[in-house]
Amino acid sequence: MEILESINWAILAPIIVIQLILMAVAIIDLIKIEKANGPKWIWALVILFINLLGPIIYFIFGRRS
Amino acid sequence: MKQLVTLFKKEMLEMARNFKWIWVPLTFVLIAVKEPLVLYYLPQIIDSLGGLPEGAVIELPVPSAGEALAASLSQFNTLGVLIIVLITMGTIAGERKSGVTELILVKPVSYAGFVTAKWSSSMMLIWFSYFLGYFLSWYYVGILFEFIPFADFLQSFFVYGIWLTLIITIVILLNTFIKSSGAVGFISIGIIIIATLLSTSLSHLLAWSPALLSAYTNTFIIGGNFPDELLPSIIVSVIAIMFSILASIAIFKRRELA
Repeated sequence: MEILESINWAILAPIIVIQLILMAVAIIDLIKIEKANGPKWIWALVILFINLLGPIIYFIFGRRS
Repeated sequence: MKQLVTLFKKEMLEMARNFKWIWVPLTFVLIAVKEPLVLYYLPQIIDSLGGLPEGAVIELPVPSAGEALAASLSQFNTLGVLIIVLITMGTIAGERKSGVTELILVKPVSYAGFVTAKWSSSMMLIWFSYFLGYFLSWYYVGILFEFIPFADFLQSFFVYGIWLTLIITIVILLNTFIKSSGAVGFISIGIIIIATLLSTSLSHLLAWSPALLSAYTNTFIIGGNFPDELLPSIIVSVIAIMFSILASIAIFKRRELA
């Protein structure tokens, strides 16, 4: 717990916010899109549980253009 | 000219609908800013992961501000380049597959305008994302370590940007004559890897190679001076960029007319 306190949250907060925005945009897009490249629920898991890279992987490979 | 603007607007609209204007800049920010943070918190990270025998003392040299910024650049050079290739590999090849190209080209649209609009819109997106990511990384390095002069930041930004521009241009060039976007991506990555490997291993022979621009930028940020070979490699890159654009227009014209 000491470690959690020693971290300067003002520095880390923007990164977490960016990560959350990416996740939210990806999920909204996944809901709105007609058909994804594969089952939608798998993409939802990818977006939500793969840290940092999940939404990016979805945007690159998940959208069927 | 008016046509070019219209085509450009169409590309912009498409990028907005694909959310590219949101996720590409954010991704570049993430991969750039991560580096100085990890370097700064490395001692704590090692501590919290544990696994070290009791009493082991690791003296980690505190990285300089330049090294932290250079670490961000090297992230651009790997992950950043990969993302650039992945998002631009389908710009023409993908549209050709879905039939959009035909829809546009039955109208009296110039081939040069079509290719230029593709190129310039990708350029806008990538340069914007790259600037945002690199600038925030510079800012974080300033807070966590020490501020690097803004002029140095701008210089390194533009020099390395030339290499990214060359990559975008090569991907667009491959797009004009390869049908599958997967093949475009694969070949572009191959070209980039081979160029980088060759020029770093034979750097005394290929000092003018554009692939060395990232290495030169690194020496500049860490050491404060650009090597003398910088100018030739910038000139070669600019020539290569212009040649590739002209070649893409010519190839695209010929292929679509045939």
